[in-house]
Amino acid sequence: MIPESLRHELQQRVAQAVTPREAAVDVLKELQAHYGWLSDEAVVEAAAILGLTPLQVEELATFYEMIYRRPVGRTVVHVCDSISCWAMGGETLLSQLEQRLGIMAGGTTADGALTLLPCSCLGNCGDGPALMVSEQLHGPVTLDSALKILGRF
Amino acid sequence: MPKLIIDNIAVEVPDGTSVLEAALSVGITIPHFCWHPALGKAGACRVCAVKILEGPVKGIQMSCMLPAQDGMVVSTGDGEAVALRKSVIEWLMINHPHDCPVCDEGGECQLQDFTIAGGHGIRRYDGKKRTHVNQYLGELIEHEMNRCIQCYRCARFYQEYAGGTDFGVLGRADMVYFGRQCDGPLESPFSGNLVDICPTGVFTDRTARFRARYWDYDMAPSLCPHCSLGCNTIPAARYRELLKVMARRNDAVNGWFICDRGRFGNAAVNAPRRPRQPLVDRQPVGWDQALDTLLGRLSEFLELHGPGSLAIVGSPRMSLEGNIMAARLRDLLGAGTICYFGSSKQSEPALEAANSLTPDTAASQADVRSADLIAIVGCDLLEQAPMMALAVRQAWRNGARIYAVDCDQTTSLYAGEVAPALSALPFSEAKQPVIIYGTDHKQPDSSDDAVRSGTKLAFILNGPNDFGCALLAREQGAVPLADALAGGKIKGLLSFEADLTTELPDAVRVLAACDWQPTQLMQRAEVALPATAWIEMEGTFVNNEGRAQRFRQVMPPGLPIRGLGPDGHPPREFRKTAPGSDILPGWRLIADIIERLEGERVDVPLSGRWQKLQGINAEDAGESVL
Amino acid sequence: MEAVLFGHNRPDRAVTFDEYCAEGGFAALRRALAELSPAEVQQAVIDSGMRGRGGAGFPTGKKWSFVPRNLPGPRYLICNCDEMEPGTYKDRILLEKNPYLLVEGMALASYALGVQHAFVFIRRGYEQAARNLRRSVAEALSAGLLGDRILGSGFSLELDLHQSAGRYICGEETALMNALEGKRANPRAKPPFPAIKGLWGQPTVVNNVETLANIPAIISQGPAWWKGQGATPEAAGTKLFCVSGHVRQPHCMELPLGTSLGEIIDGPCRGMRPGSVFKACIPGGASTPYFTGEHWQVAMDFDPVAKAGSRLGTGGIVVFDQNTCMVAATLNLIRFFARESCGWCTPCREGLPFVRHTLEKIENGYGAADDIEILREHVHQLNYAFCALAPGAMGPLEGLLRLFEDELREHISARTCPFKTR
Repeated sequence: MIPESLRHELQQRVAQAVTPREAAVDVLKELQAHYGWLSDEAVVEAAAILGLTPLQVEELATFYEMIYRRPVGRTVVHVCDSISCWAMGGETLLSQLEQRLGIMAGGTTADGALTLLPCSCLGNCGDGPALMVSEQLHGPVTLDSALKILGRF
Repeated sequence: MPKLIIDNIAVEVPDGTSVLEAALSVGITIPHFCWHPALGKAGACRVCAVKILEGPVKGIQMSCMLPAQDGMVVSTGDGEAVALRKSVIEWLMINHPHDCPVCDEGGECQLQDFTIAGGHGIRRYDGKKRTHVNQYLGELIEHEMNRCIQCYRCARFYQEYAGGTDFGVLGRADMVYFGRQCDGPLESPFSGNLVDICPTGVFTDRTARFRARYWDYDMAPSLCPHCSLGCNTIPAARYRELLKVMARRNDAVNGWFICDRGRFGNAAVNAPRRPRQPLVDRQPVGWDQALDTLLGRLSEFLELHGPGSLAIVGSPRMSLEGNIMAARLRDLLGAGTICYFGSSKQSEPALEAANSLTPDTAASQADVRSADLIAIVGCDLLEQAPMMALAVRQAWRNGARIYAVDCDQTTSLYAGEVAPALSALPFSEAKQPVIIYGTDHKQPDSSDDAVRSGTKLAFILNGPNDFGCALLAREQGAVPLADALAGGKIKGLLSFEADLTTELPDAVRVLAACDWQPTQLMQRAEVALPATAWIEMEGTFVNNEGRAQRFRQVMPPGLPIRGLGPDGHPPREFRKTAPGSDILPGWRLIADIIERLEGERVDVPLSGRWQKLQGINAEDAGESVL
Repeated sequence: MEAVLFGHNRPDRAVTFDEYCAEGGFAALRRALAELSPAEVQQAVIDSGMRGRGGAGFPTGKKWSFVPRNLPGPRYLICNCDEMEPGTYKDRILLEKNPYLLVEGMALASYALGVQHAFVFIRRGYEQAARNLRRSVAEALSAGLLGDRILGSGFSLELDLHQSAGRYICGEETALMNALEGKRANPRAKPPFPAIKGLWGQPTVVNNVETLANIPAIISQGPAWWKGQGATPEAAGTKLFCVSGHVRQPHCMELPLGTSLGEIIDGPCRGMRPGSVFKACIPGGASTPYFTGEHWQVAMDFDPVAKAGSRLGTGGIVVFDQNTCMVAATLNLIRFFARESCGWCTPCREGLPFVRHTLEKIENGYGAADDIEILREHVHQLNYAFCALAPGAMGPLEGLLRLFEDELREHISARTCPFKTR
């Protein structure tokens, strides 16, 4: 169940859209922010708010990179693995992070705090290697500065 | 009408025809997966590549996406096009499992055919294959996602054509998945078409799983007996067992598809309880004894009660041939009454259709699909004639306005507005209006001039031969069985594939009943005569629009090898014919009775005014009886 | 050259609404609404010779002219800010520095096109840019520069922001429209083209952020002036180049269109980083074939770059030094494209993983000579995909085969990546 205030807010968003579907990605992102990930329950909630079936929501949810259909940690660490960051040592950074956090790419730390996800180009190419943590771009980062950002230094 | 040349053959096609369809029209099959005549182009699979040598565009083009244009010179065999098609097949085969030997689609698999046609034989990709987890989609359809080649036909059919909302496309890139949000039976009443439409073995008919290969099937063009629409089917049988039913294309009627009731609702054909043996007073007897007994008791009955007390009962379930023979038997016996319908509730809509429809006003399913205004009057379409609902959806998708009068049309297939009466509808604004009358509708008001002359009509009736029975009923002065019984004069029945809709008084004798189903009348009959089911015989049904269509014999009658007897073993005796195979079509049985009474051979049921139906080709669109 | 796009920039923050207005911001919109007809605005854009800055370089005025004026129902303008081409970050910088240019440019374009509802489709991850844009839209709205009857004229415009959830394919204009409509972002078949049947089936123009941000200058300074900002007589306007990789000072800069590659690297980027020697670069984002030292003098303008065998693309230049394995670089790019395929058509969905697998084999030392032939086939066959994603992905692979075949063969004969052992 989601708080009535959130449901109301999302219903408003849908009402303002040209079509309910236009608001679908916004609704998914908001529900993801609420649940931490887009849980099965969130899919059903989204469907009800959007007037779609859960399948129709799932079709969208499984298309996008930043919609998580599996549980993630409280903070998701996106490590850019595209060309500019690769040229600047992104691969090394990722494997160092894996080692220091004790998880593989895609994994979540045992305390549920962090999930490490390689991702497509973050558009921070001039400052590679780059990270995105809590919607905030960082770069260029070293292992040390990355760990500082994550509060793990 | 663009004129073009495809592989040195001059072709002229209507505007808007794709190069792929133009090629098909002269017998050139360009490989295709995502394109389907009913779904149109998608441009997804890229296997229909051809090379355009001359014309407004040149070079490699996807023939499904390219409208035929004047002056085009098309080569399907050009080296570059062949190479691209081969590449596409190679890509598709990267992940397709090599499980043809255990795949139900093997032998009827478009991917198999085009892979071989494309010459792909050597695997160059040496990586791992992608695998998926399958879903449980209910008892009717088996899901095997690893075989998927992502042509998107299933999702396009299910969502766009059929309006389903519980099945679609998940994931992306090389992880695209076609399925439901979670395991569970598919909700669409047209889901079985996924089996037909999938070009490979992702969706197979679970009810026929691991039973036979395509080349093992007994197949023939047939018809669906479940409602009055007369959708065209191809039943597939083996060893006298109906395995599955596939849709058969008829552009005027069902198009390419059938509903799930027509596809999956035929277990009665194989039912162990089916009558297979003539019975006299419930005791098994030979055919001669059964018929002799019948004739003896019949003559006693007529002597005792007079012919006026006998009713001959035909049925909208029975072929036109059978019902015509029933009328002849009535004439021969001088029986007082002939019945074709159980009750007036059944007969009235059929008679109304027969009285109202003319060649100009009868709306086929194709007419409904291309209509721009549809009024549905007193009808639960999805319940009474699912394929008609699908036809309405196609019109709705093309922008037709849908109105519901005296009924509720809440469905995900189309959005209908509720209208108070036909007179409230803007018929004059429509170019191709159609009114669909259900069996529950009130009599149309013929003085209603809102319904202008160009409006076509469709009547949803009950049985596969309601219309044919209505014509006969009119001609023969038939009365519904319930009415005949209510009159109190009827003391005995001869019933042919008929169903009781009212209680039969104990005093009324069922002298004989003939049916392929274990009906109440068969159980009550003094002489019970088993008959062939429609797929075991040739015959004619007249559908709701007055279209006579032929169904051909799919399989010989007889006990299926599977499921015989309580011990599951065929009878331990030697004989030349299969057990249970000595049964006859209903019409032939009546003809035998007539022959025994008259001594004259009866060969041609369709004579006189019905003669023009003799030559119907089951693979054609059918013949109007209007 | 005068800065067209970065003239208002502050070194460490975004320009404010008041600053922008004080420096002549929104003057073009005021002038257009007071003095110019929509057709005149469109003509100015045609006269400027502006070519779209999103990657394809299609003339903007011509694109606008495809929109029929007589169709019923609304028309839409979409600003494509789904900047997900690896190596490209110019639109982000532009919006982080000065979102008002885009707002004004979209108002002008909407006026020219008769659009009353415009959208900015912005990628995920550009949160600062989105915040800036939201704020600037609100400011413009309260200043009467957006909304109903702008500046007292008869022109009204609603400007909405749509934030995506991350997929490269959303940048393809027809896929973008599907995404905006809340459908899966598969590209649509063309024809019908968006100008006829786009967003919700209505005539739609999709322009890049940088393209639209240039419109105010074209109107306020005139098309001739704007055109003259290029480095060569053929090059019209300025261009944002965003450089990344092994240069000393990678950043996003505004330069005359047609500035040579060498000038960009040696000038604003201050050359290669210490210890690095230029080996190659991607000249215009991940889908463009490589340039090497022999292309140092190529003018970075649409036609000269095309003539030299690549594409100007987005202006995202990724520079590689002598220690970069070009097979590995290409593999990285192909991995990106394979992952970002929408999965609609076979060549892209299945062909790219085939290429990825083949490059992985070569890079890891178990490639065979035949594999080069497989790569070559794909460079050709992937041109026949449904949209431009797969053909774009073949850009760098084509460059690899043309310019670095020796390096490929060395991987195969040495049975290892030579850069790993060096």
